[in-house]
Amino acid sequence: MQPDDLARVLAPKLGENLLGVEPFEGMAGRVRFRREAALDLFRAVRDDLSFAHLSMVGGIDWVDHREVFYVAWSDAARQYVLLSTDVPATDAHVETASVIWPSANWHERETWELVDITFDHHPDLRHLLTPEGYAFHPLLRSFKIHEPEELEVKTRHV
Amino acid sequence: MATQAAIPFVEIEALRVKEFIPAAKEALSSLIAEQGQAKVIRPMFNWAGRNSLFPLHWGLACCAIEFAAGFGARWDAERFGVVARSTPRQADLMIVNGTVTWKVAHKLITLYEQMAEPKWVIAMGNCATGGGPFRTAYSVVPGVDKLVPVDVYIAGCPPRPEAMLDGILKLEQLIRERKE
Amino acid sequence: MSEMWINMGPQHPMTHGLWNLRVRIDGEVVLDVDPEMGYLHRGIEKISEDRHYNEVVTLMDRTCYVAGLAWEHLYILASEQALHITPPERAEYIRMTCEEFQRLGSHIMWYAAFVNDIGLMSPFLYGMRDRDLVLDLFQSFTGARMTYEFMRVGGVRNDLPPTFTYQSRKVLDWLTERFREYDQLCLGSSIFHKRCDGLGVLKANDCIRHGVTGPMLRSAGVKRDLRKDRPYARYAAVDFDVAVADGADVTARYLVRMEEMRQSIRILRQTIDWLDHHPGPVMAEQLPRWLGAPYAPVGREGYLLKRNYAKGLGFSAVEEPHGEAQAYVVNEGSEHPYRVKFRSPIFANLSAARQYLVGYRVADIPPIMGSVDPCIGEVDR
Repeated sequence: MQPDDLARVLAPKLGENLLGVEPFEGMAGRVRFRREAALDLFRAVRDDLSFAHLSMVGGIDWVDHREVFYVAWSDAARQYVLLSTDVPATDAHVETASVIWPSANWHERETWELVDITFDHHPDLRHLLTPEGYAFHPLLRSFKIHEPEELEVKTRHV
Repeated sequence: MATQAAIPFVEIEALRVKEFIPAAKEALSSLIAEQGQAKVIRPMFNWAGRNSLFPLHWGLACCAIEFAAGFGARWDAERFGVVARSTPRQADLMIVNGTVTWKVAHKLITLYEQMAEPKWVIAMGNCATGGGPFRTAYSVVPGVDKLVPVDVYIAGCPPRPEAMLDGILKLEQLIRERKE
Repeated sequence: MSEMWINMGPQHPMTHGLWNLRVRIDGEVVLDVDPEMGYLHRGIEKISEDRHYNEVVTLMDRTCYVAGLAWEHLYILASEQALHITPPERAEYIRMTCEEFQRLGSHIMWYAAFVNDIGLMSPFLYGMRDRDLVLDLFQSFTGARMTYEFMRVGGVRNDLPPTFTYQSRKVLDWLTERFREYDQLCLGSSIFHKRCDGLGVLKANDCIRHGVTGPMLRSAGVKRDLRKDRPYARYAAVDFDVAVADGADVTARYLVRMEEMRQSIRILRQTIDWLDHHPGPVMAEQLPRWLGAPYAPVGREGYLLKRNYAKGLGFSAVEEPHGEAQAYVVNEGSEHPYRVKFRSPIFANLSAARQYLVGYRVADIPPIMGSVDPCIGEVDR
């Protein structure tokens, strides 16, 4: 499957919410879309393009905006596809993909707690990897981790 | 190297089981009367404790795989009397083998408190010793000695099973010298 | 009401790693399941943003500690795509050899732990003995038993020693015999069948909906293997079959993993033959100076920080012993990756726990979780 095939199927469904389909080596293509059309896109990708398996949902913090990306696999075409949308940093939310692909559930929990992107209508959006009540979103660029101070270590040799 | 606390040796001549127990009791009390409790009872307890260290069956991260390999046929840890126990109530050694995160810290301290005295802790690997390669991470405790008192540190990432056995033997040496 | 939530973990002999399986039970029957992860969350993706591309390889070993070389391979493939670097052919064959030996090591470790959970204690010792032979081979060319730090962007760190092919053939012959013994011990035991047949069933469409991959998916009859469907390294050039079974239960997963081990031996014989007859470089020649400083024939003066190099995105997917792992590397033109994101197969397999644990008994949980083969380092990263 080539990027043109993806565009041909998705453009009628999304209209101007499809921002572009770029080639990506090793994949069917990279589909950039507006977050308003998220559910339409997911449905089209799963049903019309038969990418039945959602492997990965992740977030990237680009400081002024954040990016949510999805990777799905098609058994028929034996290819991956990359879907990516930008959300503004002040209003970082997007519709959940877990109603379309249940495998997105835990990935979205992790993306929320690490990159602070809220997934609307997610059935169970709570902490997964970080402790309950952890107040930070560690993978944001504004969250700095520091090098340790020098420590004086006393050892006892037996 | 360290002073050997000799276990007292007493010969008991008894031919029947019924005679053995009173004879042993009498021999032991006369020994304690002679040499004092510290020199008789403490070495016996130390000998028993160091030759039957029961670690908690617990694996945190990569060092746990080398811990498991140490119980395999090549590096048989059980020949030192080391048998992993599933519950902390039956364990007297906690080998912290892997990275300690803040999320597990409370559970680790709970497990430590559930173990009965006397108990020891071995920090196995660089992560348990001082945070290891993950020291700069936001979720990692820089060394398990921030949470529980550690008796022996084993360096390595991961330490080979021989290093783990060496650490256990060093702990046995420490127990041999135990005074109270 | 006799329903209650109990904790199986984080300290539990069954868990194979640091996680908590909360089960709601009514007597012995499991009604609901809520896995609690994150006890080993070490922030690897965050730390990697401060590390040089080659330094992240050390963290990949520790991400999945029983399958370290597979995860190194995963990350290196994505980085090479993001950095626009191609490794030489011999390096790719060495990486394939590493990955298949790692698959053997990981599956033997799975076998040892799995049968120990069911109650067969002696195959645990046989498994550890045989796994030590594979680790000896790793030690001969990487220097370490478990955390190898062997692969680099552009190739591998060093070539194999001259005795490697001879020693590895002996190990493969030994293992072929031993796998017959493993089958006798397990499949020949009626207790094993009583404990494992029909347990933990996860049918094919449920697997795909919940993102389950690897031996769990193949045990449900779906013939998906990334080494065949989307070949990476030189898997297109070697001959092997995909291990598939019907039944989708614990016994089927056992059969799939045993067959995968036999196919790995088949692949290894071919790659070792190739390596014997095709000497060559193991590191790419035209490495950029800043990347290659200690490992390529350029001087250290090329090792400068925070310059602007060509940007790129890299995506790789590897058929890791536990399933399909993926890496997405964002290269924004400096010596440190801007973002690395990993997808762990066991993350998805454990997220589907409600599907294959509910309805069974508490005593069935260890065999089922053993067949899922959890390795928590890669789930929590």
